[in-house]
Amino acid sequence: MTEEWVTFARLGRTELVRLAGEIDLANAPEIGREIQRRTGHSGAGVLIDLTAVSFLDSAGVRLLDSLVGDLDRSGTPIRLVVGETGAARMTLQLCAFRDDLMSTDLDRAANEVS
Amino acid sequence: MTESGGDVPDVTQDLRVPWDEDPGDLYEHAPCGYLTTLPDGTIVRVNETFLAWTGYDRADLVGRRRFRDLLSPGDKIWYETHYAPLLSMQGDVHEVAFDVVCADGRRLSTLVNSVLGRDPGGSPRAVRTTIFDATERRGYEKELLAARHAAESSEQRVRALQQVVADLAAAPTATEVAEAVVRAPGLAFGAGHSSVWLVDPDRAQLNAVASTDPGGPAPDDIPTSATRPVAEVARRGDLHVFATRAEAEVEFPELAAAMRRTGCRTAVLLPLTTGFAGETIGAEVLGVLSFGFAEQRGLTDSELRVVRLLGHQAGQALDRARLYDDARRREERAIFLAGTTRALEEIPRLMPRAHRLVERIVPDVAEWAAVRLQVGPAGLLAEAGGPGPDPERLAERVATVVAGGAPQLTDDGPDPDCAVLPLTAGGKVLGTLALRMAPGRRTAAAEAQFLHDLADRAGLALENARLYEQERAIARTLQRSLLAGDLPTDPRFAVETHYQAAAHDLEVGGDWYDAFLITPDKLAVVVGDVVGRGIDAATTMGQLRSAIRALASAEAGPARLLERLDRFVDRVESARMATLAYCEIDLKSSEMTYACAGHLPPLLAEPGDSPRYLLDGRSGALGSRAGRTARVEHRAQLPAGSRLLLYTDGLIERRNRRIDKGFEVLARTYAGRRDAPLPGLTAGLAESLVGKEHADDVCLLCLALGTEERMERSIGADPVQIALLRKDLRGWLTSHQVDGESTQAVLLACSEAVANAIEHGYRDDPFGIVDVTATVTADTVEVKVTDRGNWKASEQDVARGRGLQLIRQVMDQVTFDRAEGTTVTMRRTRRRAR
Repeated sequence: MTEEWVTFARLGRTELVRLAGEIDLANAPEIGREIQRRTGHSGAGVLIDLTAVSFLDSAGVRLLDSLVGDLDRSGTPIRLVVGETGAARMTLQLCAFRDDLMSTDLDRAANEVS
Repeated sequence: MTESGGDVPDVTQDLRVPWDEDPGDLYEHAPCGYLTTLPDGTIVRVNETFLAWTGYDRADLVGRRRFRDLLSPGDKIWYETHYAPLLSMQGDVHEVAFDVVCADGRRLSTLVNSVLGRDPGGSPRAVRTTIFDATERRGYEKELLAARHAAESSEQRVRALQQVVADLAAAPTATEVAEAVVRAPGLAFGAGHSSVWLVDPDRAQLNAVASTDPGGPAPDDIPTSATRPVAEVARRGDLHVFATRAEAEVEFPELAAAMRRTGCRTAVLLPLTTGFAGETIGAEVLGVLSFGFAEQRGLTDSELRVVRLLGHQAGQALDRARLYDDARRREERAIFLAGTTRALEEIPRLMPRAHRLVERIVPDVAEWAAVRLQVGPAGLLAEAGGPGPDPERLAERVATVVAGGAPQLTDDGPDPDCAVLPLTAGGKVLGTLALRMAPGRRTAAAEAQFLHDLADRAGLALENARLYEQERAIARTLQRSLLAGDLPTDPRFAVETHYQAAAHDLEVGGDWYDAFLITPDKLAVVVGDVVGRGIDAATTMGQLRSAIRALASAEAGPARLLERLDRFVDRVESARMATLAYCEIDLKSSEMTYACAGHLPPLLAEPGDSPRYLLDGRSGALGSRAGRTARVEHRAQLPAGSRLLLYTDGLIERRNRRIDKGFEVLARTYAGRRDAPLPGLTAGLAESLVGKEHADDVCLLCLALGTEERMERSIGADPVQIALLRKDLRGWLTSHQVDGESTQAVLLACSEAVANAIEHGYRDDPFGIVDVTATVTADTVEVKVTDRGNWKASEQDVARGRGLQLIRQVMDQVTFDRAEGTTVTMRRTRRRAR
């Protein structure tokens, strides 16, 4: 159901979650549940790759916010990989996501969380 | 005596009695009475025979009594007025009947002969009287008299009975039979009061139907199992005569009380039975006649015979009336059933047919009727008349009948007179027919055969209607699914379509529209019409639509396409004579090539010009044998802002309007709406040209080249719809050269506003509609999002708060209008396109 928007992979030990397409009220809750089911249980760091996201609304922000909160509490490092421009960058900046959470480069982010 | 001599002996001389005949003894013991009286009647001599007959002593009479003193008072008068004068004048009197009063007061009927003896001087000296006992003779006379009386009253009874029998023969209904019977006891026997009860076998009761009381019969329905006298007599089937109240008291105290109340001293209860007089076995009691007499009287045997005869005559008349009733009712029922079948066939659709059924049943057959059909999740109900029965009990019974398929003609619940019958077709229970027979009519059990026939016919008729509905629904679904195919969206053009099914329950038609991209720069639009209606037409339409999509190619063009379709129609016969208007538009050059195969001409509105019909590129219908089959096409240039309308004949054809008039009206209406927004244009045209009461399907497609100045969309309150809206909006913004950053901002703000409307405004209404209007000027982009939902100001939760915050951040100006529902107006200043 959610494969269209979310896929899961590993980068070394790091868990890599790739989001794609338009994330909005219609699919965010389901994507959130899928990510929670599949990640954060190994203790390794988590990367959320948003570079392929063409639209992100406040429901998507809510999803990322609660994901970051959960992983922070469990001490799991997390980074959001966001393009320098684009819809995701705009929305996250508007919502004032912490700069230390966001990275533009996948490999650098992977190093930071591993 | 001697002179008789000769050889004949003198018998009186020769014959000697064996004893000495003593004249004195002969006088005393003669076989008749002798009296000798003086002329004044004083008895002077009397013989022993008279004394023995009368019981008097000789001493009481001789010298003491006159003969007339011994007579009854009436005879004394007769003696003085007739006997004595006659005797005096004639000297003798013969065979005068006198009643002699005996010593003990008894009366002795006698016949008297008297002779008056005179002295030589001629004066009366003595009267000699012989008296014969006439008891037996007088008895015989009395019998004769009584017999004559009996014959007379019997004749009167027979006449009365003949009259009653004649009345019975003329009485066609049971009630009229009862009216005739109730008069009989008065006419035949002089009875004072009589009533008739008739057996109602359906309700197992006796109903009082006729009475000689001036007020008619008191309403009195007696169950046949009751202990009351009428019911008891009906069960026994025997004539009951109660000569006195005391007799009645012994067997039926209730009857005795009624006799006292009505002043009857004698009462008769007579069963009215089928069969012949004297037959009791197998004879059926159809009613009871009761009558009474004010005086106490017994009934003679002959009267009893007449009474019994009356019972049989009345019974046979009732039997005949009953058969006549049955025959008449059967005929009425047959007419009703045939009429019902015809009436149902007139209406093809299910619910109207079910309604017509119950409306025929009420009030002709029942006072209340309901048809329940196991169709759809909630089932269907058609009801007429009232009052309805207890709904809970009815629901239970309906469930039982549906499960078991067996009818329930009666019930021991609160509505025993309510019947529930299964409606079946092909062995399957389709639903139920519940009804309550009108009061005073035969019960459902009595009408079982008729009701079964009715339910059978209704079941079949309703099943046919259900199949019709099913096919109709399939055809509609098929048609919709074929029409609802994804039309292309492109900033260079916009397509608006409208399909309106015919009113008046017609089957679906074969009208269709389609728009598709042959190549990224070549658009095809088509509107067509397949001959016929129903599921076949819908299927054919689907085939033809697919064929066009498959056969259209960048190189072919409209004329070649039509030639290929002609060959296609040779294989798909049902598509023959289909008509269509087909246009290909080169989106780069804005050149259109079009062809019409027997179809109405497209209507083109160019900016700044009146709409005109495109009358070139015409040839005959697909596969036409009479029409021109050389396929031609025509080219036309479409300036930006042109609007092209394709339509089917339902739009302009009206029975009361000539077709050229229809063309005029369409062109005028179309011109009047040239500046109307494209969304809703086709629906608006259909409404103003044909209205709601249209006899045919209407199918329209409007193609607008160039971009919409305004984008208007209405979407359902479903988050999934937001992505589709964004797609349209993105294309629209791009076509207006809105810069990328503004586009991102407007998309985000619009999404958030719509999400708010869905999550808050329509939190309780999944069917709410969100209207979105976007306009663009050289400087600004404005988006309005309107819902008619019910916001509760309180729940500005954090998440939605974030949405609103995002809107405020990305848009320059945001206003909320909360009048009816909520309208959010958001404006952003454009950056000049670079």
